[in-house]
Amino acid sequence: MVHETTASLEDCSAGTIETLLEEMIRIRAFDEAALDQFRDGDVPGFLHLCHGHEASHAGMGTAMEPDDWLAVGGSRLHGQYLVKGVPMREAMAEIYGKATGSNHGKGGSMHLADHERHLYGHAATIGSGQNPAAGLALAQQMRETGNVVVSTIGDGGTSRGSFHTALVFAATWNLPVVYVIENNGFAISYDAGNLPADELSAYGEPLGIPTASVDGMDPVAIHEAVSAAVERARSGGGPTVIESRVVRMRGHFEGDKQQYREDPDAAAGEAHDPLASFRDRLQDRGYLTDAEYEARYADAESTAADAVAYARESEFPEPATAYEDVYVRPLYGQEGTDGGEER
Amino acid sequence: MTELSVSEALRAALDEELARDERVYVAGEDVGSFGGNFGETRSLQEKYGETRVRDTPLSEVGIAGHALGAAVGGLRPVAELQFADFAATAGDEMINQIPKMGYISGGQFSVPLTVLAPSGAGIRSGAQHSQSVHAWMGSQPGFVVVTLTTPYDAKGLLKSAIRDDNPVFVLPHKNLMGKRGEVPDEEYTLPLGEAAVEREGDDVTVVATQQLFYRAIEAAERLAGEIDVEVVNPRTFAPLDTETIRASVRKTGRLVAVDETPLRYGTQSHIVSEVTTNDFFSLDAPPQTVGVADTPIPFSPPLEDEVIPGTDGIVDAIRDTF
Repeated sequence: MVHETTASLEDCSAGTIETLLEEMIRIRAFDEAALDQFRDGDVPGFLHLCHGHEASHAGMGTAMEPDDWLAVGGSRLHGQYLVKGVPMREAMAEIYGKATGSNHGKGGSMHLADHERHLYGHAATIGSGQNPAAGLALAQQMRETGNVVVSTIGDGGTSRGSFHTALVFAATWNLPVVYVIENNGFAISYDAGNLPADELSAYGEPLGIPTASVDGMDPVAIHEAVSAAVERARSGGGPTVIESRVVRMRGHFEGDKQQYREDPDAAAGEAHDPLASFRDRLQDRGYLTDAEYEARYADAESTAADAVAYARESEFPEPATAYEDVYVRPLYGQEGTDGGEER
Repeated sequence: MTELSVSEALRAALDEELARDERVYVAGEDVGSFGGNFGETRSLQEKYGETRVRDTPLSEVGIAGHALGAAVGGLRPVAELQFADFAATAGDEMINQIPKMGYISGGQFSVPLTVLAPSGAGIRSGAQHSQSVHAWMGSQPGFVVVTLTTPYDAKGLLKSAIRDDNPVFVLPHKNLMGKRGEVPDEEYTLPLGEAAVEREGDDVTVVATQQLFYRAIEAAERLAGEIDVEVVNPRTFAPLDTETIRASVRKTGRLVAVDETPLRYGTQSHIVSEVTTNDFFSLDAPPQTVGVADTPIPFSPPLEDEVIPGTDGIVDAIRDTF
């Protein structure tokens, strides 16, 4: 059983450090742009932002190969989509419900899916994506693809029976799947501190699943932990449960007044900001100057602004497309398309 | 032609599809050496091994939920629930996830899985093991919902369900597992989404499946010489082949919708609504519905027999259309 990793920048390749920083910046810039647009009233529905989860998302995403599957969960998802390679334009357009979105407006921010990039759309009933993740892993095992599945969930979702069932199936069948619990301390308002387990990864222990609980504010730590788990899964060593301890810097959704928090502003401050702390570490070690950081951030802001412009200018889906994709037509054995849409 | 029982026909369908397509596998409680609750998977694990015919831990959430991911991942799971009632214990998977993933992905995902689950009442198994769930599962767009009536249906429709690219919920009837009938020796499949006119007649259309189909046939035979009854077997309840039913009513002018779902918000109402809305002026009399009274299914034999429609009730309903 692993409980802590000792992640150090010195053990990390320059390329990995570079990618981790780049992904964290992209995620922050994307979410800041989405927030600006939401405040202007342009984004339909709820908006759940990743602030505080950037290191966790970047760390797990960079631990995967492009053909590995990511079955996203929890409520903080944009960063997971981006780190799996979904272009900002497609992601932003889907959040806007536009036809150019990855799901043509049928999914929205909670269901963004990208089959080609092996991104499984979120189940959106929290905790319901973990059994499909086990099934995706079974498909990799039976088809001998060599690919691994990483599945994410929040602290709240771990109270659902479906989560525990998934662990039972994964352990029983020795499936190549890594369950990452992003524990940000709150299930909307419910304090994860009330849960009896000190480390939520402990839920894997009675099943004999290797576990780790790591500082998810440190991208190197989460990268190393998920990399080790992915490697074990790929070599036939079965599932892993990892707790990634993060901070939710904002409310559950935009507009959440956070009365359940003693000091919401403290959580939103630089002291809890994984991007600021990684930047500072890199600057302290001489990997990065302030000017370089600013230039990188400006680049990402510009890409995010382009994605916003693309999403805003894109058309909404034709209303008639609401009736497409309900069934794959024709049904087996029928002749013709029976008036339905083929896909 | 060979005479097979429904459970033998199901086993033959699974056997042929496991042999035909290596992406197909069967997963469920007791499907391995135990051979399934009704013998429908007997000897398949011996033949195909524990990977292709796999016993699962006891969790419908896991059986249905993992099958969804496996289907998206390129396999063709046949996920067996021991009783169709257990669709409710996997309610989130069966209602919120499986039928919607293809749609919300904008058509990127296909979910070619089959859930095989015996439904219906009559084997004295009480309220939580006797329900006909095709009304409440049929109201989930995205799920194809199929009821099995004859051994011929059972084999041909299960094979099609496994080959279809949609999630298909296949419902044999518990009380018909031993029902025997002729099944072709050569390979065949039956189209999904298409009803079958099983008995031709000119005076009244009766729509019925599963055990009530046989009672409808009995009713038709009892009335022969007096009233000429046409019996339509919908086979697929969702999406429902309303055209075949409506064409029959346009011919006969009368309709009796018989089903083992509860009458309140049941399939009977939907069938009648389709006909009255679209073919009102073809009707010579108000349509009649026959179904389970709005009660849970009781355990005690005389109570269970009381609430499940019998041949007499179908005869009465047919007469009421004249």
